[in-house]
Amino acid sequence: MAYNKPIPTQGVHTRPFWEGARKGKLMLPRCQDCNRVHWYPRHICPTCHSMNLEWIEASGEGTVHTFAVQHLTFGPWAEEAPYVTAYIDLKEGDRMLTVLRGADAGKPEEIQIGAPVKVEFEQANEETFIPFWRLVEE
Amino acid sequence: MPGELYKSAAIVGAAEANEIGFLEEPVTSLQLHIEAIKNLSEQTGVPISKIEGVFSAGWSTELAEHLGIKPKYIDTTSVGGCSFEMHVHHAMAAIHAGIIDIALVSHGENGHSARRVGAGGAGNYARGAGALSPALEMTMAYGLGGAPSNYAHAMTRHMHRYGTRREDYAHIAKVTRDWATLNPRAAMYSKEKHPFGGPITVGQVEESRLITWPLTILHCCMVTDHGGAVLVTSPEVAASLRTKPVWIAGAGESMGHGNMLEMDDFTATSASRSAEAAYAMAGLGPADMEMAMIYDSFTITVAITAEMLGLTAPGEGHTLWKDGHAAPGGKLPINTNGGGLSFNHSGMYGMPLLVEAYRQLSGTAEDGIHGVEGKQTSARTCVVNGTGGSLSTTGTLVLVADD
Repeated sequence: MAYNKPIPTQGVHTRPFWEGARKGKLMLPRCQDCNRVHWYPRHICPTCHSMNLEWIEASGEGTVHTFAVQHLTFGPWAEEAPYVTAYIDLKEGDRMLTVLRGADAGKPEEIQIGAPVKVEFEQANEETFIPFWRLVEE
Repeated sequence: MPGELYKSAAIVGAAEANEIGFLEEPVTSLQLHIEAIKNLSEQTGVPISKIEGVFSAGWSTELAEHLGIKPKYIDTTSVGGCSFEMHVHHAMAAIHAGIIDIALVSHGENGHSARRVGAGGAGNYARGAGALSPALEMTMAYGLGGAPSNYAHAMTRHMHRYGTRREDYAHIAKVTRDWATLNPRAAMYSKEKHPFGGPITVGQVEESRLITWPLTILHCCMVTDHGGAVLVTSPEVAASLRTKPVWIAGAGESMGHGNMLEMDDFTATSASRSAEAAYAMAGLGPADMEMAMIYDSFTITVAITAEMLGLTAPGEGHTLWKDGHAAPGGKLPINTNGGGLSFNHSGMYGMPLLVEAYRQLSGTAEDGIHGVEGKQTSARTCVVNGTGGSLSTTGTLVLVADD
């Protein structure tokens, strides 16, 4: 079935991220001066303000920082409600937003902050593969 | 020692549009602005033609044009619900600098009517986001909708960190509704006024419909129509008016992030910094505050903000309501108009905070221009805090009654 959810409009300086996603790789920007990874992709390091940035291939591992269960939303996502959204602490540092996969939206009490997650990619159109995070089964 | 700007300006009047709430006849945001400004002029006796500075969340040139005035100071700061507290801060600085003596801060927003007549409306994560903003580019795929869809993540983290339960925050909705039942202008004043109005119980808050877990609908503010305006003047102008001044003792503003993706700590906001600046200017601290007006977009918003303002220890914000201190008759009344939860919330709620704080500290909470009975407190000091965006931006004011 064709992907019917909102598809990100790709920027210019974020191209390495989307190129990586097409190959199943999670690419993250890192500052070559202070070595910190940041997310979302910047034109300048938000920590030390160096413009000497590079892209690295990340582990694709992280943990749940916090989450919520969406019951009332709009557009195509509304058809999936309820579903879990979460902010993910990346192993390399900083944080991503995701729709959390492998979580039971009917039992939020059982979702653990700090639970390990792994990234996976879903093809949305010819050039866009969107990263989503899934709970790692024990 | 108070700072240089301490009491260098006063709020000398506060008024609202003629009708606010869930209006049967659709109105435009512009009409809500203009009615409030007209009422403010009549209340203070300051002719509209004497306004020298126009402050609003994006509307200033249109308002000045509509009013036929030529301001010499124009500020359109629009950073969400705290914009109006920032406008007061900016107006105070402009007055202190000697650029102007009379500043209008105005708000009009047809959050409810917009569904029928268009205009207004907040940004939407799911549509319209483009490559111009990498923060939106990297969040627009993930099914967030309105404000509750994002704020709920902060509530989950706050509960996790402090071991609180959702029911603890439900007391905030219950107590705030108690205040609304004292205010006939509140959308949720009574069952006669609105089918879901009148007193509510903690149990009802808990059992109401889920919007975004853990937020049920009664943990969330409404979307209504509102217009309001306040006049800020120099001490000299204030002394010449028939209305009582409420002094701006302290003001501060700050921000943590724009997109919630960049929120370092989901249990804290920049209100700690904006409040620190405001308290320092006032030479006062949280223990000196006799009431508070705090943006309550959601119960979690006001709980966290109370902590940031130093009114309680971190993790204990909800206890102000649960233990009755914030309630009618309590030692620290909070959101005496009924709040964004039960009074009125048009989308950006910073103006109703100012209007009610002015009324309380000028002794007109029961007989203001649209006066009501029963909610006047004896407070002489009030901390006001607006929050904008997704717990992003904050503006804090310390207001004190005239001697």
